[in-house]
Amino acid sequence: MREKETTLYFGPQHPGITGNMMVKLKVAGDTIVKAETHVGYLHRAFEKLMEQRTWMQSFPIVCRICVPEPDPNEENLARAVEEIEGREVPERAKYIRVMVLELSRLAAYFLWMGGQAGTAGLYTVPQWSVGDRDYILDLFEELTGGRIYHMYIWAGGVRRDLPGGFPDKVLRTMDYIESRLPEYDKLMFENAIFQKRAKGIGVIDKDKAMEWGVVGPPLRGCGIQHDVRKDEPYEVYDKLDFVVPTYEGGDIWARAMVRRKEMEQSISIIRQVIEKMPGGEYYNKVPNPLNWYVPPGETYVKTESARGEFGYYVVSDGSLKPRRIHVRGPAYVHGVSLLENILVGANISDVAMIMNSLGVCPPEIER
Amino acid sequence: MNKNLYNENQTIEEIKNTFHTAEIKLQRESRIIVKLRSDLIPPFLSYAKNYLAFNHLAHFSCVDWIEDNEFELVYLLYSYEKNIVVIAKTRISRDKAEFVTIKHLWRQAETYEREIHEMFGINFTGNDRLNEFILEDWDDIPPMRRDFNTIQFAKDNFYTRPGREDAQDVRETITKKSGEKIPDFAKEFSVRNLK
Amino acid sequence: MFNDKEASKIVDIIKNFARKHSLWVVAYGTGCGAIELPPTMTSRYDAERFGIRGSATPRQADVLLITGYLSVKTLKRVIRTYEQMQEPKYVIGFGSCTINGGMYWDSYNTIKALDRYLPVDVYINGCMPRPEAVISGFIKLQQLISEGKADGAKRYRENLEWYRENQRKVIKNWRMPEYNW
Repeated sequence: MREKETTLYFGPQHPGITGNMMVKLKVAGDTIVKAETHVGYLHRAFEKLMEQRTWMQSFPIVCRICVPEPDPNEENLARAVEEIEGREVPERAKYIRVMVLELSRLAAYFLWMGGQAGTAGLYTVPQWSVGDRDYILDLFEELTGGRIYHMYIWAGGVRRDLPGGFPDKVLRTMDYIESRLPEYDKLMFENAIFQKRAKGIGVIDKDKAMEWGVVGPPLRGCGIQHDVRKDEPYEVYDKLDFVVPTYEGGDIWARAMVRRKEMEQSISIIRQVIEKMPGGEYYNKVPNPLNWYVPPGETYVKTESARGEFGYYVVSDGSLKPRRIHVRGPAYVHGVSLLENILVGANISDVAMIMNSLGVCPPEIER
Repeated sequence: MNKNLYNENQTIEEIKNTFHTAEIKLQRESRIIVKLRSDLIPPFLSYAKNYLAFNHLAHFSCVDWIEDNEFELVYLLYSYEKNIVVIAKTRISRDKAEFVTIKHLWRQAETYEREIHEMFGINFTGNDRLNEFILEDWDDIPPMRRDFNTIQFAKDNFYTRPGREDAQDVRETITKKSGEKIPDFAKEFSVRNLK
Repeated sequence: MFNDKEASKIVDIIKNFARKHSLWVVAYGTGCGAIELPPTMTSRYDAERFGIRGSATPRQADVLLITGYLSVKTLKRVIRTYEQMQEPKYVIGFGSCTINGGMYWDSYNTIKALDRYLPVDVYINGCMPRPEAVISGFIKLQQLISEGKADGAKRYRENLEWYRENQRKVIKNWRMPEYNW
């Protein structure tokens, strides 16, 4: 007997949704028959606004594209402008950038951990992980002045040098975070509830993953070793020693474990960066931002963010303002075409878990 | 840095042999720009995907070159094996903004096409899902076109709180204090002049 | 002992005292400010000690927190969410972009002044406001409640026409159920 189909609106006002978006579900009983993503609730027209702003004024805009992890955006725009202009970046600035990027990756993973465990019903984990994330935000606040939006990385280097004693503080925080990770293992990753909810759910087909445009931890959770930091090393990633962890299975569990192992790698990268950081200039000064003509050109730059390949396609026509900046967020593919496909056949109660494990972040889908 | 461009040169060679009219440029390490006639784009993408192992559609973008009355469609393909990004570009007329879909090659292309349809008003034949994606009940010209004036639109449609104009130009206060003058080029960006 | 007027005043004082210590916030992250809510709600800042906590449905909530800019598409949903809430209900505008548009002053898709569309009781400025600022905004709201000045819902009811006119100006296709008091 065919079960009656019902339409369910998952979001935009729903505690399980990752941000302000909506998934329209057709369900038969508990099983999803059809899913349709509706986005656009966070559309601020950034790409249009950046055509109205000067290059320097675009930096405060891009970091607002991805709220949990703003730094890869700044890094992308900075690197794109530097590439079009041929501007050199001091060695020290490159190391500082890598440190900031890895710190922001850690912060994003802590937030993800809270969301992922919260959707599985483990409400203690968000209490811990969001609290621990605040130690990283405190570092950001000391370094950049902002907790969430940093506007720290810009064309030519970084905005200011490390304050006195900052590396020691970072190392202390890293020691603390490293000591906390086994606790999270006990609380979340070895937890039978989480394992039962995560294993075998939301499976991405390994053979199709590349073709479907899956990037980042979901791709590595399929057992495919691909990371922008290794494939096309930017800044100083080619001088650092780290591995790209992969897991087989393609399910929520594999993606969770990939992220868990990457946290250890990030901590190791930050330690190496601080050890190897040279002295010298941190900023190769750009001309007066109001009179800063970037020569005509185009480029595609990409950064490995916590959710995967973050790409910027930047076109300059030689004027004061960008001609076109088109953002490719990892969630763009994960949140629409991939989500719509892997939700089919899933249980309603797993929707929030699948969305979280894919890293669906609506502000970068619609910008 | 030791630049071994073997993969890049080989790929360029292969594209050249198959598509004689293509304008190919090696932009830098692992970036190849291919300019093609618009009718050659679907065969090229299919060729790149199936024979050259460019199986990751990294991005699909559109640039409005209003001075040439043309839209430029930009397909960015990435090959995991070769570690190269191919930037395939073509131009279509702005008056007859229509192109064919590549949904059958990459299913995520559907999402990109929906966005470009909404933002630029380009119609992709063969894509049956060009419905509302980001905007809702939009009845003006597509907003990412260069001739759409967002400042005017915002002024006409939304209430702006008075008092912002004064708060905006802090530079005058600063210059008054320090005795400096605002350079002419900077005045262009004053909010007052945007009115 | 008391006449009616005095009695109702005393009842109001007790009601407001009870209300201000139990502010349930709708779990609706309308903008990027939603990122500062997990820290506010969890172990470090622990807003629950002020009686502030999340509520999954608008029908059981007291506070609608507008976390940042509202795009036109979200505004429509927010209006519905607000009208589904039961009185007493309060609106907090969170972030500079709810006050005057903030950095989105020339965007074609975001509204610039929230109080034209919904009755705002408290604004919290900043981009983005820190958790301390959020908590201090809530304390301000508690103060207003205990003084009986947080009357946004009443304002909305009395000036419904004006609010509706503004809302309809922005939302072009008005397909919504009428507000049924």
